[in-house]
Amino acid sequence: MVDSTIRVATDVGGTFTDLVCFEIAGKTGQSRVSTAKSATTPPDYETGMMNVIEKAGVDLTRVNFLAHGTTVVINALTERKGVKVGLITTEGFRDTLEIARGNRPDFFNLHYEKPPPFVPRYLRRELPGRMTYQGEEMRPLILDRLADIINDFKDEGVEAIAISYLHSYANPSHEQATEAAVRELWPEVRVVSSHSIAREWREYERTNTAVLSAYVQPVAEGYLRRLDEKLKANGFGGSPYVMQSNCGVDTLEAIARTPITMIESGPSSGIWGAAELGKLIGDPNVLALDIGGTTAKCSLIENGNIRIVTDYWIEKSRKSSGYPVMVPVVDLVEIGNGGGSIAWVDDYGKLHVGPQSAGAVPGPAGYGKGGTEATTTDANLLLGRINKDYFCGGEITADMVNVEKTINAIGKKLGVDAREAARGIVRIANNNMVNALKLVSLNRGFDPRDFTLVAFGGGGGMHAVALAQELGVGKIVIPANSAVFSAWGMTMSDLRRDYFVTCLTDLNEGTAEHIEATFREAEKTALEQFAGENIGSAEISFTRFAKFRYQNQEHTTEVELNGAITGEKISNIVDNFKEVYEREYTYRLDAPVEMVGIHLVAVAEVGKLSLPVREATGQDVSSAVKAVRKVDYALEGIHDATIYDGSRLEPGMAFEGPAIIEEEGTTTVVHPGNRTVVDDYGNYIITI
Amino acid sequence: MTTSEADPITIEIIQNSLQAAADEMFAAMRKTAMSSIIYEVLDMGTGIMDPQGEIAGSGAGIPAFVGVLDKSVKVIIDKFDQPGDVEPGDIFATNDPYYGGVTHLNDIVVIMPVFSEGELIAWCANIAHNSDVGGMAPGSLTGEATSIFQEGLRLPAVKIISKGETIVPVMEVIKVNSRMPDVLEGDLWAAIASVRIGERRLLSIAEKYGTKTFARAVEAFMDYGERVSRRELAKLPKGTYELTEEQDNGQFYNVKITIAEDRFVVDLRDNPDQLDGPLNTSRDGVMVAVQMIFKSLTDPYSPANGGSFRPIELLTREGTVFHAKEPAPLGFYYEIELRVYDVMWRCLARHMPERLAAGHFASVCGTFIGGIHPDTGRQYTVIEPQLGGWGASQSGDGNSGMFCGFHGETYNCPAEINEARNGLIVDQMALNVSPGGEGKHMGGRGIVLDYRVRADNGFLTAGYTRSKFPAWGLDGGHEGSPNYIEFIPKEGEVQTFAAISGLTTQKDDVIRVYTGNGGGLGNPKERDPELVRRDLRNGLITDNQAREVFGLKD
Repeated sequence: MVDSTIRVATDVGGTFTDLVCFEIAGKTGQSRVSTAKSATTPPDYETGMMNVIEKAGVDLTRVNFLAHGTTVVINALTERKGVKVGLITTEGFRDTLEIARGNRPDFFNLHYEKPPPFVPRYLRRELPGRMTYQGEEMRPLILDRLADIINDFKDEGVEAIAISYLHSYANPSHEQATEAAVRELWPEVRVVSSHSIAREWREYERTNTAVLSAYVQPVAEGYLRRLDEKLKANGFGGSPYVMQSNCGVDTLEAIARTPITMIESGPSSGIWGAAELGKLIGDPNVLALDIGGTTAKCSLIENGNIRIVTDYWIEKSRKSSGYPVMVPVVDLVEIGNGGGSIAWVDDYGKLHVGPQSAGAVPGPAGYGKGGTEATTTDANLLLGRINKDYFCGGEITADMVNVEKTINAIGKKLGVDAREAARGIVRIANNNMVNALKLVSLNRGFDPRDFTLVAFGGGGGMHAVALAQELGVGKIVIPANSAVFSAWGMTMSDLRRDYFVTCLTDLNEGTAEHIEATFREAEKTALEQFAGENIGSAEISFTRFAKFRYQNQEHTTEVELNGAITGEKISNIVDNFKEVYEREYTYRLDAPVEMVGIHLVAVAEVGKLSLPVREATGQDVSSAVKAVRKVDYALEGIHDATIYDGSRLEPGMAFEGPAIIEEEGTTTVVHPGNRTVVDDYGNYIITI
Repeated sequence: MTTSEADPITIEIIQNSLQAAADEMFAAMRKTAMSSIIYEVLDMGTGIMDPQGEIAGSGAGIPAFVGVLDKSVKVIIDKFDQPGDVEPGDIFATNDPYYGGVTHLNDIVVIMPVFSEGELIAWCANIAHNSDVGGMAPGSLTGEATSIFQEGLRLPAVKIISKGETIVPVMEVIKVNSRMPDVLEGDLWAAIASVRIGERRLLSIAEKYGTKTFARAVEAFMDYGERVSRRELAKLPKGTYELTEEQDNGQFYNVKITIAEDRFVVDLRDNPDQLDGPLNTSRDGVMVAVQMIFKSLTDPYSPANGGSFRPIELLTREGTVFHAKEPAPLGFYYEIELRVYDVMWRCLARHMPERLAAGHFASVCGTFIGGIHPDTGRQYTVIEPQLGGWGASQSGDGNSGMFCGFHGETYNCPAEINEARNGLIVDQMALNVSPGGEGKHMGGRGIVLDYRVRADNGFLTAGYTRSKFPAWGLDGGHEGSPNYIEFIPKEGEVQTFAAISGLTTQKDDVIRVYTGNGGGLGNPKERDPELVRRDLRNGLITDNQAREVFGLKD
């Protein structure tokens, strides 16, 4: 037995691989947190991960728990680096993947280009057999043609097969039979059946999900295997947990079967971290905002609860219908607005920021690596918000000549000087983010003033106060270690699986039993899956949700349910639904209510830790002051701001804005009149 | 809170917020509607108008609805012009094209004024297709109608909510006229929720920046729209272009477009008299079609507003199909609006092929199927536009399986949902591999879609165009293929038609929809052999076609 517990999380991002390590001494309960950053190493991401472990001095033989988040899936998709996939589907529907939904978001553009399917027509094959929406067999499955199809697929170099039949969400037996037959005919090939990922209706979305999952399967599986081997070779005794998109981790074995669930693992761990942090500090209503280099992501957390949805798309924008992925993903809004977002002026003199980004190379003009366009970061440099002499933690000498040149070019087009142009860039960037925050709050009937803004990522502290002012939010939290907050969130997460099952039924006393049975069946499936990984039922807790709507509606509202569903409880459930519905949509109806499906959450704690309190030496806050410099607060003008060294701030210290907190990786901008307090955990609590 | 003068950035932030508010209205309506044609097909639009009724911002949705709401709001402004007529909390509705409804009676426009500091600062409005508003036929649309009185309840721009209080008798009248009263009520409340959400958002913007700044921002936004349009207009080849085109019903449509330095004039005066049937449109409807083609030609990417359309001049003659006079029926207005859109497109395509592709299937292909759902015993009504093929362009092949130019952020109904909700089995949904659309660049593929009816005594109504004359090709490309329905009854002869009203259907009858391939561009013999081989491999063309039509050697 070792006398301390060590928990490690590593998060592979686009540019950096982050690490957070907690070491808790067994006897004293005293703990130590360490963090490290290292370059991401595509395509062998596991190398970057081992590098950061080494850099942090983590002894893998002593690690009890290791969580891992990675962009390997989303990268394989967006860079089209998956494998050749063959699709087997219901007779009459092989073109569903290509027809998609027929929508054209960019509707005045007569040159719209529909996103091409991931499987060309000649590799989309049909088999007879048909289920009804109620899960009854309408026509039997006939597998006679399967052997020929498999032979064709082999000849064509197919490496993975997706199977997707109509109504398999209601009855997967045809998919299961086909999958078994494929495995027998061709044991080496990867096979993904749509029902094993999604038990919800909408055939295009489910089919596309199965196809994309098959497409990344060999890539992701290979990656996970190499990762596991390297960890073991370096002495790690356990098996790593992998971050999913639903804010939970799952076992490596489970993830390797359907790696597509990792698609948004990075953002989901940060949002989970914000939810956990909110609970910890007694602010369970949180607006979580993650500002990175190219995008900003936000999500609303009500009373500590994150919201998980399955309508997620990649590459969807105002200009493209994108590709749906029907897996549980934390409900977030993502916009192309980060530190590296490029500012530009259109032909008519209007200023825009993003969604194009300067990326890591060439990066913002201030990097001096050949960037010729002004970014949000450059505007922040020019306004003195980012310290030009401590740029990127002092690792880069800010090329202020280039910054001024590029921002001047913007100013010239706008007819203003560089300072005004920089203010404009910051204000437009902020406005884009404010609109995103409104989408997750006001748009759903939540008043942002009832929430605490938890802002993290490299740019979180830079913009948070201005956004909060705009939204009327009174309290902002910039977490300690906010630059590696996603990795931090991972160390706080549980083993979590979300089960969505479409099951259309009227909601009345007579159907209670049927609804209860549906939950029971999902729970049974969950318990069996966990049992296969040696996780006993005692360790698992379930939370039940269901999706309701008024009869004749299509879109649903999800409501949490308490305990077993019985006839007596139905009227309560109806009332709860109507209340949630009214908050979001302003009215209620006297119409029958129906249930469209269930959402079961199964959680097993994997030894979560309690966060250590930081020691304070009792120094005066003045000991953390680095300097005073002029900072431009845009609308509030230029002020002499006190500059604090974040690494020297201690719990209990407090000060008033105008101020700037600088540390490696992040800068926090405190506006005039804002009070900032450092809490016991080292978080900055800013009140407006 | 900080103060802000009306600097350009503040103005821009307000403009962005208008767009965001219109999007929020759209999202709210979509999520609460009860008709699949609203929540799934998204046959709806939302917008924000300035106090004079000009479009200041529009939500996602379909382009054909972007230019509708301003016209409706202007009718409200004219009609309710006395002090006290328009108060905070009021909500108005109109669906009658002779009273600002623009389209047809199924589309109810809901309008709410927004007041800040006692001053009218904007209007929020939306439009959506309601499943049944009464009239002689289920679903309210029928080719049999000979006057608008047969097409449903007429709401001649009336108030439905006064200072926040529902005017119950009016609501009752609206509801009782529908064959699907609960659905109509649900959809109407979805529309009301949507304009109220818009109002809330605009108020918070106006309170934050002040009503004066708000008004300045809106005005500047219009000017911006106008500047964009005029600049692009100046780049179009100047001249007068004319086209005469024969229609499926034997009529000839004539269009004359004059593109001048600062004007875009569309002359439709020389056209047939209005019909007794519902293939007519209001002048406002034609204006929407002109605005759409103009916007696509000049600046498809930035949001449309009132200013964008200032250079347009439209000439029509009252009493024609393009400027119907009361009480002409207008149920299938969308097909005729689409025809005029397509005629203008075709008229200009030859002169600016870099901006305009070959013709697309160019019909909404509105398909109405109803009956009793055998599992629930409840009435169902399918109201579906169909997907089809788009034309080839200079940059490449046309898209397959897309909604027509009238639609935009519109989604087809998944077979799985269709089967659960409606008493139908969808037996296939495939690309249409019939010949048509061959060229150096190929027209996109239409679809073949089978609905098998599950119970006796249902009905089918449809009105497709481009059935006799398919999508046109360009520059030697072949024309596309036709839009039509093949009705395959369990007993009896197969029938083929493009228009049908209230055909009775029985159990196991199959309604097979074919939509057209888009027109091709350029000589098929010049097509890249690699692409010909790809199409062959994908089963989109036959060996014979590859050799004969495309000249493939090996």
